[in-house]
Amino acid sequence: METAVNQLIKELKVKIIDTLHFEDITSDDIVEMDQLVGGDLGIDSIDVLELVMMIDKDYGIRIDNKELGEKVFASLTSLARFIHENREGEAN
Amino acid sequence: MTGVRVFITGMGLVTPAGSGINRTRDVIRRGEKTIRPLSLFPVDEKNRLPVGEIMDFVETGGLPRTHQLALTAAKEAMAHANQIPDAVVLGVTTGGMLTTEEGLKRGDVNPGTYQYHSPDSVTEAVARAVGCHGPLITLPTACSSGAVAIKAALEMLRAGMARTVLAGGADSLSRLTYHGFRSLRLIDPQAARPFDKNRQGMSVAEGAALLVLTASEEVPDHAIAEILGGGLSCDAHHPSAPHPDGAGALQAMAAAIHDAHIRPEEIDYVNLHGTGTVDNDLSEAKALNAFFPGKKPLMSSIKGAFGHSLGASGAAEAVVCALSVSENLIPANVGCTVPDPDLGIKPLTRPEETTLVRTVLSNSFGFGGNNAAIVIGAPDRAQAAMHGGRGDPCHLKVLKTACLTGAGNTEMSMRAIWEGRGCKGMVPDKILTEGLSARAVRRLKRLPRLVLSLASAAQSGSHLPKGPSAVFFGTGWGALSETYDFLTSLFGSEEQFPSPIDFVGSVHNGPAGQAAIYLKATGSNITATGGDYSFEQALMLAGVLAKDVDGPLLVIGSDEWHKTLTPLLDRSARIDTVASDGGGALCLGQSESVPGLKTGVLFYEIGEHNPSVMPSLMDRLSHGKSIQEKYEVIFVGIPAACRNRGQEQLATFLSMSGFEGPVIDYRNITGEFASASAVASVLAIGCLERGGLPGNLWRGKSVPLNEKGILLLGLGDRVTAVEVIY
Repeated sequence: METAVNQLIKELKVKIIDTLHFEDITSDDIVEMDQLVGGDLGIDSIDVLELVMMIDKDYGIRIDNKELGEKVFASLTSLARFIHENREGEAN
Repeated sequence: MTGVRVFITGMGLVTPAGSGINRTRDVIRRGEKTIRPLSLFPVDEKNRLPVGEIMDFVETGGLPRTHQLALTAAKEAMAHANQIPDAVVLGVTTGGMLTTEEGLKRGDVNPGTYQYHSPDSVTEAVARAVGCHGPLITLPTACSSGAVAIKAALEMLRAGMARTVLAGGADSLSRLTYHGFRSLRLIDPQAARPFDKNRQGMSVAEGAALLVLTASEEVPDHAIAEILGGGLSCDAHHPSAPHPDGAGALQAMAAAIHDAHIRPEEIDYVNLHGTGTVDNDLSEAKALNAFFPGKKPLMSSIKGAFGHSLGASGAAEAVVCALSVSENLIPANVGCTVPDPDLGIKPLTRPEETTLVRTVLSNSFGFGGNNAAIVIGAPDRAQAAMHGGRGDPCHLKVLKTACLTGAGNTEMSMRAIWEGRGCKGMVPDKILTEGLSARAVRRLKRLPRLVLSLASAAQSGSHLPKGPSAVFFGTGWGALSETYDFLTSLFGSEEQFPSPIDFVGSVHNGPAGQAAIYLKATGSNITATGGDYSFEQALMLAGVLAKDVDGPLLVIGSDEWHKTLTPLLDRSARIDTVASDGGGALCLGQSESVPGLKTGVLFYEIGEHNPSVMPSLMDRLSHGKSIQEKYEVIFVGIPAACRNRGQEQLATFLSMSGFEGPVIDYRNITGEFASASAVASVLAIGCLERGGLPGNLWRGKSVPLNEKGILLLGLGDRVTAVEVIY
C-alpha cells in the first residue's frame, strides 16, 4: 500500500502544480507531510475547490462536505491516502 | 446653502415574484419565498438547485433576457416621468451571457449572435428606449453593482452633470453564474437561509430594478424617497471571500452615513446583503456588531425570499428600502428559522408594517471585496444635507502614468512611438508580468496580469507620500480568457467540472479587485464597461467620486486580445490585420494648488441617433477660451468599425471649431482594442511632459506644444472628450 500511496503522492504533486498554475515551484518543493492548505504554498479555499474538481474528474472520487474536505486536505499524504483508499474500495 | 438633494421619483422592479412593484410588495407582505428548482436552461438532475427564476416573464425575441428584464423595469420606472433622463447608470454583471453561452455551446461563429454580449448593451438598450443621449455608464462590480450604480448616479447628480438619472441594475440567470457559484459550493440545496444556523449558501436569482433619481433643491411633489448618501469601499483582501472581520463592509457603512450626515442611531432599518453563505453572513454580522455596538435597528435580508439577483440586487433592495420609508413596510428575513447564535444579530422573522421607518441603510457586497452601502430616507425628512456647489468635479492632477502595448512597457512604447514604429500588437508575454512575482500572478490570466502590471508600474518609483487608495478600471470586454476557459471546460465536461478559479476570474471587476489587493487600496473600487469608451467612463467616475477618496486614485483602461472571443465581440479588432491589446494607467491626485498637468472628461454622449451631439460637444468645449487657444493638438480615436461615422463627426468638429492644428488618429499607432484611449491618454501626457510631439506623428515635423493642452476625442458610436491641460 505504501508504494501505491507514494506513487500517488508523486503523481499528485505534478497535478497540483499543473491545476493551480504554480510556475515557481517543482515537485520537490511540496513536502508531503506539510500543511497543504494555508501553508507556505499559499493554497486557499478556491484552490481546494479546484483540486476537489480535479480529483472528481481524474479519480472519480467526490469530496462533497466541508468536514471531510478539511480532513482530506490536511496534507498531501492524507490526500493521497484518501484517494488510494477510495479507489481501492471502488475496485473491491 | 447651495446644492441639491437627490430624490427617487419613479421605480420599476422585476423579481422572481413577477413584473411590477406590486408583485414584489405582495410577496413581501405575505412573507413568502419565490425560490424554486431551476428550469430556465437544462441541467443534469443531480445538479438542479433552487434559484430565483422569473417564471412568467414573456420574452419577445431579439434582445437577450437581461435586456428585456431591464426594459420592463425601465418602462415601469418611467411611467410617470415627465422628462427624459440625462444619463443611464446601470449595474450589470453578465449582460447577454445567456445568449452568448448558447452560441458558444453550438459553435456559432457568427459575430451577430454576440452583438448583445456586453453588459453595456443593456444600458444602451434602456437609454434608447427612454430617449436618453448619455452619458451611459455600466458598472459590472459583481454583487454590489446595483448599489454602486446608485452611488455613482447620486454623485453625478450632486456634481450637476445631470438633473435626472435612470439608475439601477439587471441580470438574468446564466450558466456562467449558476455553475460558477455551484463550483464554489455556494448554493444552498434547500434555498438560501440568510443568517440561519444551518445556512449553506445563496440562491442565484435574476431580476431588474430601475429608479428615476431627480436632483432638486426642494422635495418634488412625486418624491417616493430620498437618497441621503452612499459609501463605497474595497476589502483589498481576497478575490472572492469577504474580509473575515467585515472590515470593508464596516468601512462602506461608515462612509455611507458620513455622506448622509447622519448617525448610526438614526437608522431605523438595515436591508442586509445577507446572501446566506456561511462566510458572507458572518462577515456582515461582525461589521454590524461593530457599527451598532448598542441597540440594533430592525434588520433583514430579502435574499431568502427572492434569491440573489447579482447586478440587480443592490438596486432591487433600494426599491424595497424606498417602500420601507414610504409605506413603513419592512420585509421578513425569509428562510431564517433558527438565527445563528454566533452572529449576534436577530433578523426579522415576520414582515413589519406598524413601525415608523424614516431612515434605512442598504448593504451590498461582492466579489473583489467590492462593498457599497446606501442610505435612503423618507422624502420629507427635515434638515437633509444639501450637496453640490463644489465647482468643477472632473479634473484630477496627473502624478504618474504607465502603459503596456505591443511594443512593451511604458518606456519601450514611448520609444517606439518617438521612433515612428508605433506600438500595435499584443503585449509580449515576458512584459506582462514584469516586476510581479510568479506567486502573485499564479491564478491570473491575461487581463488581470495586464492590470496588475499597469497598477504596479503606475505607482512604483513615483515618490508619492501615499499609494493609490482607490481604483477605477475601464474595460471593453472584461476577462475574456477566464470567461472562455470557464465555459469551454463547463461544456467540455457536460457541465460536470466548471473551474472555480476561472469563475472567480471571469467577473469584470476581478482585475480591479486584484489591483486593490496588490496596492492595499481600500477605497472605492469601480469597474466600468462600455466597448471603446470604457476608459472614459472610469475616468469620469474618478472625477465625481474623488471627493470620497483619501489619497491618490488609480485610473486604468485595459483589454486583452483573445483568439476566439475578441473577433466575435469587438467589431473593430476583427477588421484590423494586427491583433492588439494592452492598456494605460494614470495615477491621479486631488491637490489643485500644485502646478502640473490635469486631466478630466468633459463630454460623453451617444453618437448614433443623436443629431445634436456635435453641437452639444462644441457647446461644452467652448466655455471660456476657444478650442484653438486651449489645445495645440487633438488626438482622435475612431474605432475601425465606425470609421465613416467617426470621419464625418471629425469633419463636423473641425469645421465648427475652426481648429487647424495637428489631429493625430491614434488607433493607427496603438492598434484596435477597446481601451486604446487609455494608451492615447498616457501618450498625450508624455508629449506634454516632453513639451512637444515627436516629428514622425505629424507630417514629419516635431510640434511644440507651447504650454497648451491636448484634447482627446473619442468618436463613432459614442462621442467623448478628455482633456489634458496645465
